[in-house]
Amino acid sequence: MIDKYFLHIVVACYLAFWIALAIRPLDRGDWLLENVLIFATAAVLISTYWRFRLSNLSYALILMFLVFHTISAHYTYAKVPIGFWVKDWLHLERNHYDRAIHFSFGFLLLYPMRELLIRSARAYRNWATWLAVAALCALSSFFEIIEAVVAQIVAPDLGIAYLGTQGRHLECAKGHGAAFVGAVIVATCLSFYPHLKTK
Amino acid sequence: MPFGLSVRDNFGLSRNYYDRFAHGAFGFFLAYPIRELLLRFSGINRAWSFWLPTAIILATSGLFEIIESIVAEIVAPGQGVKWLGGQGDEWDAQNDMLSAMVGALLMTGIVSLRERKDISR
Repeated sequence: MIDKYFLHIVVACYLAFWIALAIRPLDRGDWLLENVLIFATAAVLISTYWRFRLSNLSYALILMFLVFHTISAHYTYAKVPIGFWVKDWLHLERNHYDRAIHFSFGFLLLYPMRELLIRSARAYRNWATWLAVAALCALSSFFEIIEAVVAQIVAPDLGIAYLGTQGRHLECAKGHGAAFVGAVIVATCLSFYPHLKTK
Repeated sequence: MPFGLSVRDNFGLSRNYYDRFAHGAFGFFLAYPIRELLLRFSGINRAWSFWLPTAIILATSGLFEIIESIVAEIVAPGQGVKWLGGQGDEWDAQNDMLSAMVGALLMTGIVSLRERKDISR
């Protein structure tokens, strides 16, 4: 029963959440830009649903990541309130929400990626786990490259400042590193429990 | 690298592009062995064997860039790109990764064309 309607419930909850956060975002232009990723993900997942269905756990993890992304689309990365609370609480020098998102990219998406590699690419389980790490790192490099290319074309003079990286050159590398660490943690756990069910 | 310098002077470029060329070569020449390794040991099928080598190349160059910038921060704090020999390119890391990716995709393209020919023969 719960298994059968799991996706309906989760997707309905997400939709409600998305609509709530689509109302009066801090910056409508930025909101649209960030939502391109959400629309693209939704298009891919919906169009492949009938041909290639991932497990409920994978869909739930992907939606979880989209929830975090939706929050940052509403507030823009540098201004998410939770980030400020943590910043004041731990006396950090900046809002670390973007770092957390990068981490969750690796952490949450490793399992779905591994499932895809096992079931679609037919990779052996232990290969699939670490190939998934590589695939996620590659995706995060790829996004970074796109960002860089766009920034160089749109605003060659603005350079790093354009991406709102809060003014430090190391930002890109650190975000990238966070995704890698997230993915490696889950991959290590999965290699200790290699038989965790993948449909 | 003298060769890069003479190319720069001949074509009126702003910097020595030999490093970009080396990154491209990294992608181009390693994509083939990685693909062979994956096909023989990891069990993946042909369709995915065209994309995963590129993914691995991108992932490793991304990791290199991370290590590079951490080392740079330790050795020369605050200098960043300057110390790394970015030659004034703020997007040096990303452009390096881009050239590795293009190199790998080029090799993958050649291999897939070649294999198609072999099959139709």
